[in-house]
Amino acid sequence: MIQHLVDGVLVGAIYALGAIGLTMVMHMLRFANFSHAELLSVGAYAALVFEKLFSALAPPLAAKIGPLSMSLALALAVLVSMAITAATAVLIDKLVFKRIRERGEELSMVFASFGVALIVRNVIGLVFGLGTTLYSREIPFAMVLSLDPLILVRPDQIFTLSAALLLMVILHLVLSRTTFGYSLRAVAENPALAQIAGVNLRRIVIAVWVIGGGLAAAAGVFYGLTNQITPMIGRDLLMPVFAATIVGGIGSIYGAAAGGFLVGLAANLALVILPSGYSPSVPFLIILLVLSFRPSGIFASERA
Amino acid sequence: MTKTGNLLRTGAAMGLALAAMSVADTAAAQECSVKVGAVLPTSVDWGRPIAETAQWVVDQVNEAGGVNDCQVEMVLRDTQVDPKVGVDAAKALVDLDGVPVLLGAVSSGVSMPILTSVTVPAGVMQMSCCSSSTAFTALAEEGKTDGLWFRTFATTGVQAAVGAKVAQDQGWKKVAVFYKNDDWGQDIGKLVAADLEALGIEVTASVAINDAQPSYRAEAASALSGQPDAIYLALYPNEGTATVREWISLGGTQNMILANSLKSEEFRENVGMDYLSNAWGTDTASPRADSATAFVDAYQARFDGPPNGPGLANSYDATMIALLAMEAAGKDATGAEIAAAVPRVTDPAGTPVTADSAGFTQAREVFAEGGSVMYQGATGNVRFDANGDVSAPAVVWKFGEAGIDEVEYLSLDDVDAFMSALQK
Amino acid sequence: MIGLLSYLVFFATVATILAIAVLGLNLQWGNTGLFNGGVAAFFGAGAYGTLILGGTPQAGHLGGFAMPYPLALLGGMAVAAALAWGVGRLTLKLRHDYLAIATFGVAVAFENVMRNAEWLSGGAKGLRGFERPLQEGIGSGLAYNALYLAFVASLLLLTYLFLERLVSSPFGRLLRAIREDEEAARSLGKNPAKVRLTAFVTGSVIMGMAGGLYATFYAFVSPQDVLPILTFQIWAMLIVGGAGNNRGAILGAFLMWGAWTASGWALSRHAPVEAQIYAGSIQYVLIGSVIVGMLLWRPQGLFPERLVVSQSGGATRPAPAK
Repeated sequence: MIQHLVDGVLVGAIYALGAIGLTMVMHMLRFANFSHAELLSVGAYAALVFEKLFSALAPPLAAKIGPLSMSLALALAVLVSMAITAATAVLIDKLVFKRIRERGEELSMVFASFGVALIVRNVIGLVFGLGTTLYSREIPFAMVLSLDPLILVRPDQIFTLSAALLLMVILHLVLSRTTFGYSLRAVAENPALAQIAGVNLRRIVIAVWVIGGGLAAAAGVFYGLTNQITPMIGRDLLMPVFAATIVGGIGSIYGAAAGGFLVGLAANLALVILPSGYSPSVPFLIILLVLSFRPSGIFASERA
Repeated sequence: MTKTGNLLRTGAAMGLALAAMSVADTAAAQECSVKVGAVLPTSVDWGRPIAETAQWVVDQVNEAGGVNDCQVEMVLRDTQVDPKVGVDAAKALVDLDGVPVLLGAVSSGVSMPILTSVTVPAGVMQMSCCSSSTAFTALAEEGKTDGLWFRTFATTGVQAAVGAKVAQDQGWKKVAVFYKNDDWGQDIGKLVAADLEALGIEVTASVAINDAQPSYRAEAASALSGQPDAIYLALYPNEGTATVREWISLGGTQNMILANSLKSEEFRENVGMDYLSNAWGTDTASPRADSATAFVDAYQARFDGPPNGPGLANSYDATMIALLAMEAAGKDATGAEIAAAVPRVTDPAGTPVTADSAGFTQAREVFAEGGSVMYQGATGNVRFDANGDVSAPAVVWKFGEAGIDEVEYLSLDDVDAFMSALQK
Repeated sequence: MIGLLSYLVFFATVATILAIAVLGLNLQWGNTGLFNGGVAAFFGAGAYGTLILGGTPQAGHLGGFAMPYPLALLGGMAVAAALAWGVGRLTLKLRHDYLAIATFGVAVAFENVMRNAEWLSGGAKGLRGFERPLQEGIGSGLAYNALYLAFVASLLLLTYLFLERLVSSPFGRLLRAIREDEEAARSLGKNPAKVRLTAFVTGSVIMGMAGGLYATFYAFVSPQDVLPILTFQIWAMLIVGGAGNNRGAILGAFLMWGAWTASGWALSRHAPVEAQIYAGSIQYVLIGSVIVGMLLWRPQGLFPERLVVSQSGGATRPAPAK
C-alpha cells in the first residue's frame, strides 16, 4: 500500500513533466494535441543517440554517476536532447499546426495531431527498430527505505523525482519573475489584449513549444531511465498525460504538475482495488470522475 | 465534376497497371507452379522471423523438386495484426490467387475471422503456426471447421503442466503468476494456477500484464507482498523484460519459470545472465530423434542465429506439413482433399521422414506407393487430434552462456501421465 | 473471373460497412463539429451488443440469446446509443478538446473492459458462436456474400437518405448553426447542448449499426477489432472524402479502404523481401502523411461540403466566420 503510494509519486513526476508542456500548448493554441506524447519518444531516442556518441568520443563519460544507472554522457545528452526535442516541436508547429491555425480551423488541428503522432511514432520505429532498448542493461537494485512496511525505492527514481521538481521550480521562477513569463501569462489570459500591449504573439507561441518540447524530452529520458525505451512510448503515455492535464485543469501549470502526481498515485493505488488487467482504463476513469464533478479541473485557473 | 472525373480516371489507370503487373508476374513464373498463401504479421518485430521460416521451408521443398513436380510459390501478406486487414488479405489470396492452403495467422483474433468467413466457406485448408485460443477447439467440436483447421502450436495445457512440474521439482511452495493479457496469456495463466494448486503449491498472485503500459512497477510491486519463492512468467519479450527488471530491482526472487515465449535473445540480453541462473523455461519439444538437433543446426546455418523466438519451430512444421499434405493429396487437389491427406503425413505407423528437403523427397516416394509417413518435425512427432490440435513432448530448458541448454526431456507419455495425475 | 468477383463482393461488403460508420462520424464531425475520438468504442458496442444478443449460447460468458437477426442488430444499436448518451451527457457541454480526449479514453477503456470481462465478452479470445441467418438455404459461398452485400448496401443507402433528409431539415440547419456560432444559436432560443447530444447519439447509433454488421459478417468479434487504429481509419476516410458531405464520406471510405488493402497487396508483390518488415511502418507513415497533407492543402476533402438550400428564397448558409 505505502509502496504503491511511493511508486505513484515517482511515476507521477514523469507524467507531470509531460502534462506541463501539454497544458501550455492546449491552453495557448486551444487544441488537444495527440502528438505531444510523441515528443517524449523523440527526447528519449535523441538522448540515446547522443549518449552513445559522447561515450564513444570521451570514454570516461560512460562511467555511472554514483548509485544511478545514469552516466555522465547521458546527463549531457539530456541537455542536447531537450534542445533537439524543442526544435522538433517548433518545426512540427511551423510545418503543420501553424498553417492550419492560420486558416482558423482549430478543430482540424486535433485530427492533424493524430496524423503527426502516427508519422513521428513510425518514423522512429523505422529508424531505431521496434524492439526494446535500454540506456543501461544493468539492473539497479532498489534501496530498502523501511522494512515494515516494506518500502523500496530505486536511486534512479529519486534522481528523477528531484530533477523533475527542479525543472518545475525553474519554470515557476521563469514564469513568475521574468517579463517573458509575464507576457506568456498575459497571452494565455487574453491574446488580443496582450498583442495590443505589445507582446509578440509569434515569439510566445514558439516559446510555448520550446518549453513543452524541452520538458517532454526530460520526461522521455527519465522514463527511459526508470523503464525502457520503445517507439511506443508516445502511445503508452498518451492517456496518463492527458489525464494529468485534465485533472489539473487545462491552462494551469501548477495544476498539471499536481495532476501528474495524482494520476501516478491513482494508477498505482488502483491496483490495490482493481484486477491488474484493468489498469489501462484507470486514466480514463480519472478523466471521467474529474469531468463529472469539476469539469474545469481540480486546480482550474480562472478561465476554463 | 472534372476533379471527380480525373480521380476516377487515375483510379482506373492504377487498377489497370496493377492488373498488368499481376499478369506479368504469372507469365514470368515457371510454367508449372503451385501457390500457397500466407497471412502473417510481417510488420511486427517478432512476426517477421515466423514468415522467414515459412519461406525457408518453401525453398527447401523447391530444392527437392517442389510439390507434385511443380515449384511452390508462397504469396505472403501482412496482417498488421488488424483483423480487417488480415481477413481481406486472406480473401484476396483465396479468391485472386486461388490458393488451396492458407498458412496463418498468428493472433487468434485474426485467425478466427479468417476461418469463419474465408477459409471454411471456400473449402480452403488453414494451418496456423501460432494461434493458441481454446475457441478453435470449441469451434471444431461443434463441427464448424469442416476438418479444414490445423495448428502446430501445442495446446497450452502441456506447457502449463510442465511449468507446474518445474515448481514442484524445485521444491517451490509459493508462486506468483504473471501472464500476458491476451487470449494465450489468459488461458495459460488460468491453467498454470490450477495446476500449481493441484500440486499443493500456493499461488500468491495472478497478475495480468497489459500491452502498452507505461510502467509495470505497480504490477511487480503488488505481487511482491505475497513473498513468493518463485514467479511464473507467461509474457512476450517486450513486457517480459520490463516486468522482470522491475521485479528484480525490487528485490523479488530470481527463481523463475518461463513460458516458451521468453526463449528469446532480447529477453536474455536485456535482463542479463546474472539474474537468469535460476530461470527455468518450458517448451514443447522435438522427440529424441536425429531431426531434433537437425532443425536447430539447419536454422543456425540459414539465419546465422539460433531459432529463439516465439513460434519459429511451429511455423516450420506448419509449412512443411501443409506442403507434404499437398504432395500426398496429388495434383490440383482441393483444400478439403489436402486437409484429408494430413493424417497420411503424421501417421504414427508411417515411415519416419526428417524435416528437410531429403525428408520431403523420401516422403514423395512413400506417397507415390500409396503409403504414409511419420513426419518428425521441429516441434516433434506432430500428431493432430480430430480438432486439429496437436500435442507434443515437452522440454525444460535454461539460458546458457552460448544459447539454450536443455535440462530435461518429457516424452509424450510422461506428459500425459503427469497431466492425468494433476486431474486427480 | 469468379474469384475476382468473389473478392470484389467481399471487399465491397467491408468497405460498405466502414462507409456506414463514416456516415455516422460525418453527422458528428462534418455537420455538428463534434470531435469523436472514440469511434472504435461505439462501433464495438454495436458489434458486441449484436453478437451477445444474436449468438448461440456459449459456455462461460453472457450472451447466446439467439435473438432474430434484426432484433439483435437493433439491440446492438441500442447499446451504442446508451454508451453515447452517457459519454455525451458528461462531455458535450465542455470544450471540444475535452470531448476529443474523453472519447478517446472511452475507446481505450472499452477495449480494455472487453479484453478482461470474460463473463461479459469472452475476454481476449473474443466472442463467437453467431449463426449467420439464412445460411442453411443459401450456403456460405459467393451467393450468400452477394446477398449480404445487397443487404448492407441497402442499409448504407437508407442511412444516406436519412442523413440527407436530416441535414436539409430544420434540425440540420440547427446543427450547422451551432457548429458555426453557438452563441448566435443560443440567442435564438435554441438549446445547443440538447441538439449536440441528439446528433452525437444518432451518429454513434449509426456507427453501432456498422459494428453489428461487421461482427455478423465475420461471425466473430474480439478486442483486436476495436483498437484505436479503427478510429483513425474511419477518421481518415472522412477527412479524405470531405467532412460535411455524405457522398464524400462514402467515397472516402471506399477510396481509403481500397488504398489500405491495395498497398498491402502491392507491397507483398513488389517490395523486396527485406523491406517487408518495414512495410507496416511505412504504410502508417504514408497514411499519416495523407491525413496531414489533406488538412494542409485540401482541408475540405476531395468532395467539399455543398451549400444546402433548404428553403426557397435563396437563404444560403453564410460563409463560416474565419
